[in-house]
Amino acid sequence: MATLDYVWLGVLAVFQGPELFSILGLPIPVTLLMILCGFLLGIVVGATPGLAGPVAMAISLPILISVFGYTPDALLPVMGCLIGIMKGATIGGAVPAILFNTPGTPDAFMTTLDGYPMAQQGNAKKALRVAHFASVSGDTFSDIVLVICAPFLALLVEGYLDLPEKTALLILSLSFIAAAVGGSPAKGLISTGLGLLVAFIGTGADFYPRLSMGTEALSQGIALGPAILGVLIIGAVFHELAGQWRHKEVVSCAQPQNEIGSDRLSLGDIRKLLPYIGRSAIVGTVVGALPGIGSTLAATIGYTMGRRRHHKIGKPGDPAFGEGAMEGIAATEAANSSVSGANLIPVLSLGIPGNTAAVFLILAADSIGGFNPGPSVFKFTTDTVNPELVIAFGLFTAMFVANFLNWTIGGIFMRSMGIMARVPRQLLLPVVLILTLTAIYVQETRLEVIWFTLAFGLLGYGMRLLSISPLPFVIAFILGGKLESTARQAFDATGSDPFFLFNNPIAAVFMLLSIAIIFLASHRKPEQK
Amino acid sequence: MKNFGRILVAALALTISTSATLAADWTPPGPIKLLIAFRAGGGADTQARLVAEALEAKMGWKFIPEQVTGKGGLNMAVALKGAANDGTVIGMTVTETFGYNMAAAPKAGMKPSDFTGLTTTAGFQMGIVAPTSKGWTSFDDMIAAGTGGQQIRFGVMSPKLADLAYLLGKAQGVTLNIVSVKGGKAVMDGVNAGDLDVGFMAGIQAKGVAAGDLVNLASALSEPLIQTPDAPTLADLGVAFNADGQFVFMGPAGMPQEARSALTQAIAGAVTDDATKAGGFIKKAFGGAVVIKGTELDAMLQSNYDAAGALLKAASE
Repeated sequence: MATLDYVWLGVLAVFQGPELFSILGLPIPVTLLMILCGFLLGIVVGATPGLAGPVAMAISLPILISVFGYTPDALLPVMGCLIGIMKGATIGGAVPAILFNTPGTPDAFMTTLDGYPMAQQGNAKKALRVAHFASVSGDTFSDIVLVICAPFLALLVEGYLDLPEKTALLILSLSFIAAAVGGSPAKGLISTGLGLLVAFIGTGADFYPRLSMGTEALSQGIALGPAILGVLIIGAVFHELAGQWRHKEVVSCAQPQNEIGSDRLSLGDIRKLLPYIGRSAIVGTVVGALPGIGSTLAATIGYTMGRRRHHKIGKPGDPAFGEGAMEGIAATEAANSSVSGANLIPVLSLGIPGNTAAVFLILAADSIGGFNPGPSVFKFTTDTVNPELVIAFGLFTAMFVANFLNWTIGGIFMRSMGIMARVPRQLLLPVVLILTLTAIYVQETRLEVIWFTLAFGLLGYGMRLLSISPLPFVIAFILGGKLESTARQAFDATGSDPFFLFNNPIAAVFMLLSIAIIFLASHRKPEQK
Repeated sequence: MKNFGRILVAALALTISTSATLAADWTPPGPIKLLIAFRAGGGADTQARLVAEALEAKMGWKFIPEQVTGKGGLNMAVALKGAANDGTVIGMTVTETFGYNMAAAPKAGMKPSDFTGLTTTAGFQMGIVAPTSKGWTSFDDMIAAGTGGQQIRFGVMSPKLADLAYLLGKAQGVTLNIVSVKGGKAVMDGVNAGDLDVGFMAGIQAKGVAAGDLVNLASALSEPLIQTPDAPTLADLGVAFNADGQFVFMGPAGMPQEARSALTQAIAGAVTDDATKAGGFIKKAFGGAVVIKGTELDAMLQSNYDAAGALLKAASE
């Protein structure tokens, strides 16, 4: 099997997969339909302040798994739907930011700076078009980079890194995430440490379940789903509810102005926007490829770079950044959207998730089985078919299908979503809470699972109260088992050498970097203040 | 019509077999919970789910599969031991769980007699497998490399196999770096990726061996491998123990006889029938069904458990 055969098989897996029904004799493959459903749902939740892609992914995942089951056939429809949600939410997020000055997600904050002034000036629709165009361009660029880079990175890792180096690489990524997410490396380390601690409950090579305190419930270890959904989603809901209860403020939505002038993007507009989009797309892609650094930083860098350029070459009479410049929207949206594709580079090539969306993709792969994101996926076997590689190319195909939907119907659907900003949060949060718990119970019909989820929800709430980011916790929890088994294997394989992490140059460099990153991050903080 | 035909065949088969009179009368008092000791999506899990599917179609029983993984099947055994013994809870694991693993974890306080054996479904073609790229064509080549000073990484997927690998190295006078990984597929991935030099594989190697990418250096069973009959067995290589084992369906102790017979017959019927998805899968993935049931199964599990002590002792010397 040549490389192109694999690409083709991946494409076929999406387009010729199990059919759901047929229209006029034309079979409709279930994966395509799930991508479409995910994409539309993503735009809706992205456009709803208080909801975001991860919430929808979290609720959909258990339901999708219980519908499609645990067979390898379920992988593409389930993950395709999640990818659709991820992409839909990215463009949907700009809607309330532009129309109502309400950033639904933190990375949409920069979009309000120029988007809302444009809306006030009567150019809301044009602003939405700019946001859509920039977002889709950035996203597509990022996906192309992903498809090209992920296999090469995986082959590089598999070809040059032995077990000790792989262990050191995992430690380096955890240390990088601890330092990069949430601002304070100390809090990042606490979060990472807690994640590892939870991952080590009930697991290990021995027959005795460690850290289970003799209880049967803990002896099987903590399941990924309840812990992740608890900390990320339930914790966030508790935190929001507590905030609302304390402030009891009535959120009023700004009213959009009537439209003035043409809302179309002219060729001249596009020519003006492209340099901003291009630069931001590159920034977003680079930032996205590093695990743990979110789209907010990408948006900030993209916006700042755009402002500098606009200041230098802008013509007098053009609105400045912050006063309704469409270049500002383009720079922000291209940057934050191009994070999402690149974010999957470490996931698919190394098995290391860098953001929440990636966490749910890993969770889907882990729950269903038959696909283990990591370097072993990209084995181009010639005599037999490597099914994981077919799935990987199927996922790439799903991403481009979602991009196609985004280019064609995304804009229209997105512009009709202004209404979602009027959904009151006090209704939204309990609904999310109930839906999440129900979804978890649907997948695993045991009441203990609900208690676990609520307990982790409290943990997530506590972490948010102390401004500790729960993302390092979740990533460490996912990587904990892998870290332990790789370290054990490296130790065994080197003939029980206790210094296996420092005996060869690459591992030693990774270890030094892990320490240096934490050290540098903790010393950078006071300067910023 | 098709269903009616199936029901008719099932009814006929049941009425003809005289020993099944009692069993045929038995219907589970509710849905049957099937505890699976393997990760979702793997070959063992697929087998368990297909058996459940076949029984749902043939017998009209309802199954609820549930994953209870970890600790070499002991987690599943703990859950099964305390469950209702009226036939509404059964479990699927490997015979090693009730032999070596229970003997090695006395604190868990379980022995084979705490369970009711139903039937085994398939055995493993457990071989000691290396990639062809290493240049070893026989087991002796590997030992020669080891005695020549080369470090050999030996992949294993259970503590029992780790003990066997240790005893093998001891008998052959080489030190093997024994690397524990999760599952036979991980051994194969490690061997293919070059992280491991050699390892135990329980049948998953068949395709690779046929294609010439992998080579069966030895059989880890008491008998030669079907695919490579010339490869020596562990006994030939000076190890008095072997990795013989099967997938097995079990229930909690004290299951009523009619429930036990009905479940045993239904499962054994599904796995030995190549026409069912379950039977077809077992033939393809594990080389055909191996059915050991009733008192024969009880005796086998007990003797595995008793013999495990000797292996543990030998490996700790």
